[in-house]
Amino acid sequence: MPAGSTRVNGAPVDLSEVPDDERLLDTLRWRLALRGTKEGCRTGDCGACTVLLDGRSALSCLTLTHEVEGASVTTVEAIANGRIGEAVRDAFIAEGAAQCGYCTPGFVVALTGLLAERRASTPVSDLLEEMGGNLCRCTGYGTIGRAIVRAREAIR
Amino acid sequence: MIRTDLPAKVSGETLFGMDLGEPGMLWGALVLSPVAHGRLRGLGFAEARAMPGVEAVVGPEETDRLLAGHTGDPERPVFPRDVVAYRGQPLAAVAARTLAQARAAARAVRCEIDPLPIVPDIESVFPEWPGSGAGEHPSVIAHVRAAHGDLEAEFRAAEFVQSETYRTNGVAQVALEPHACLARVEAGRWLVRTSTQSPFSAREDISSILGVAEESVVVEGTWVGGGFGGKAGASVEPYALLLAASTGRPVKLALNYAEEFLIGRSTLPSVVHLESAVRGGRVTGRRARLLLDTGASLPGRDFATGYAIGFLLGPYRVDAFEVEGYAVRTNKPPFGPHRAPFAPQCAFMADSHMDGVARRLGVDPVAFRLVHAWAPGDRTPLGQVVGPFGMIECLQKAGALLATWRKEIPYGGGFGLGVGCGFWSTNAQAGGEAVVRLTPTELVIEQGEREIGSGSVVRGLPAVLERVLHVPAEVVRVSYSDTASAPFDSGVFGSRTVAGLGGAVEKAARGLSAELARRLGSTGVAHLSVDGGGLFATATGSRRPVEELLTPQEIGAGGLRVAGKHYGATGAIDDARVSAGSFYAYTDFTAAAHLALVHVDRETGAVKVLRYAAFHDAGVVIDPPTFRAQVEGGVVMGLGSSLTEETLWSPEGRLLNPSLLDYRIPTLGEVPPIEVHAVPGHLGAGPFGAKGLGEPPIIPVPAAVANAVADATGVRVYEMPLSAERVARALKLLPEGGEER
Repeated sequence: MPAGSTRVNGAPVDLSEVPDDERLLDTLRWRLALRGTKEGCRTGDCGACTVLLDGRSALSCLTLTHEVEGASVTTVEAIANGRIGEAVRDAFIAEGAAQCGYCTPGFVVALTGLLAERRASTPVSDLLEEMGGNLCRCTGYGTIGRAIVRAREAIR
Repeated sequence: MIRTDLPAKVSGETLFGMDLGEPGMLWGALVLSPVAHGRLRGLGFAEARAMPGVEAVVGPEETDRLLAGHTGDPERPVFPRDVVAYRGQPLAAVAARTLAQARAAARAVRCEIDPLPIVPDIESVFPEWPGSGAGEHPSVIAHVRAAHGDLEAEFRAAEFVQSETYRTNGVAQVALEPHACLARVEAGRWLVRTSTQSPFSAREDISSILGVAEESVVVEGTWVGGGFGGKAGASVEPYALLLAASTGRPVKLALNYAEEFLIGRSTLPSVVHLESAVRGGRVTGRRARLLLDTGASLPGRDFATGYAIGFLLGPYRVDAFEVEGYAVRTNKPPFGPHRAPFAPQCAFMADSHMDGVARRLGVDPVAFRLVHAWAPGDRTPLGQVVGPFGMIECLQKAGALLATWRKEIPYGGGFGLGVGCGFWSTNAQAGGEAVVRLTPTELVIEQGEREIGSGSVVRGLPAVLERVLHVPAEVVRVSYSDTASAPFDSGVFGSRTVAGLGGAVEKAARGLSAELARRLGSTGVAHLSVDGGGLFATATGSRRPVEELLTPQEIGAGGLRVAGKHYGATGAIDDARVSAGSFYAYTDFTAAAHLALVHVDRETGAVKVLRYAAFHDAGVVIDPPTFRAQVEGGVVMGLGSSLTEETLWSPEGRLLNPSLLDYRIPTLGEVPPIEVHAVPGHLGAGPFGAKGLGEPPIIPVPAAVANAVADATGVRVYEMPLSAERVARALKLLPEGGEER
């Protein structure tokens, strides 16, 4: 693969020195110093490491870095550069939808991907159900649910 | 904006312990015991040391060399020397250039261990209820007993005796961030940045475990990715420090998530026998006996057993009682404190039992509990006087809402309503100190904690200051530091942060107010206001810019500093009622009553919680949005331990479900609508009458759910969590017993 064909948050990155078995999560956090993408379970169960691959949600802990050659990767650091991501970020702040904040980047990225993928007319109950892959231990999801409703309204 | 920490958290700028890293650092990994019990013959490091990238392998002998001249607490050795007491016990530690290298080398360490017989659980020690003399059993590491009144007479006079056995299972912490730290050793100083709920008690633990002077240990807290008790005190730090001492380089050490489940401090199972003598529509005598699985050790032993057992009688008056508890040592990892340690389990048992007695009497379960509920001025069974306490009001409101919901749901069809009660004690006697620093443009709270998520530090402490000085949130800031420079505080645990450390902030703020008033020529209090970007102080008609009230020396030193300390008083129990061990006196009584509406699937036993309401006597609510969020979070965590959360252990002491796939916590789509109500009227000992709220919201949940299931089905489930399988067995949809026991 030619170096530089992959973009992370809009900037080309050189992945030529990344070992074959390295996970995208580790490449982002330790090679590119993008530590907003959080490491939780590393087994695909918690959602804290969610990033967007060409606009779609993906778990970076289960993605090998070389699988994303040529793709556009968006992490939480750049999520609010887009209209939907900005609405999601603002909704999370307005509703106080974070406590410890460790799961929060994953929620923000996953909801941004979901709202981009699904129409804003998608019923709230469907959105809540589909966000079930992101776990939060602090909030009880009350504030997060209200942030989802608010973000959905904001982009309608 | 509700909380000042949110913009950075939402944009991914906030860095946690897991995110720590610096150039030249090494990665650590732990060698965990592969067996639950055995005699350690030796550890083979040669192969691991020869592996690529490995810079150090540290076991007991290396620890002796590194700590020559230091004597640590023999009860808490860094690594065991003779006997391995549980599967997952750290036996050695490795540092390497990459995490993969460190983990590979840790796997390559040869552990020579002669297996010993395993004590897997309570039942293997006491298949029957233990008789007298059980306190001498080698597996019993603590025994507590208290009694009062003529219990035998009450049982003889009883119209009936309700006698039940309950079981509870282990609950894991599941903070999303595993334990993680970065350590370095420089010029004889032991420095560690770590995700901790209590930097000062971590310092104390490190000092005690390594046997080094407390002044030589510096702990700097990071942002904490969830702390529910598992991140109190030291955990991985001593190992990381040893690796740093051995290599002369900074070492990062983090648990992976399977390790987090195994040694991240779970609660463990219990068996409880409850007996009530019932006469004249009241419980007149109560006997409660507890067997608590403490794993390989229980910090505080008597204290913890005596603490847990105090909750077993519930917040209820009885004429005569006897409680007895045994801490049973097993070959599981040590019991850890998880959010209101063991109180939700006790409330489940005590309130299921009360609900069951009421149903047997044919009386309303809420009215029955109101007959018994403590009112302020009552005495607890242990003889402590109950202070301001809103149990009766919480129960009345929950009961009223239950009556409303009852009209709204179809009868039968598997729907049911239940109320659960819980009480708690703010750990406000654990002390703390804070400094308020006033500059011409802002107020800074200098303190020693980090935010764990609840908002008690980032929002609770400023809210106290804002109330004293009448300032808007925009000019208040919390500063963070390490244990070498921050004022002492006990820790963000025990629901004490606002009540305890907040009390120190309140005192500092009042001191500042009085000093400003004095400088304005008044003997009263001063308030602050913001005008054109600067702060103004006002007292009895006099108003001046803060800039003019501070001396040049103060401005040069960063502002006017006023310190406050808060060391609360504890209550007293009647020692004459205690005949073994020690019991815990409560500090500041808080009450809660919760209401659950459930639906039980009559074919599968699956329980779904459809609606929920929580009523809390939290004294004066300092910050309503934080109050609501805290109760919602506690309720949902409690729903997990009510329905699905359960650590499963094999007879060989292996944790069978150390993953989020097999240990199920609640997800977004499963959470019911939750009403949150503050019940005012009973002032706490915290600032402005605040009471602690970190732990209380989880306590009544399993009881409310279990009582709703009993209402829906007419069948009592005596073990939590109320998994579909357990409910199905209770409903005779599955054979009793089966594989579970």
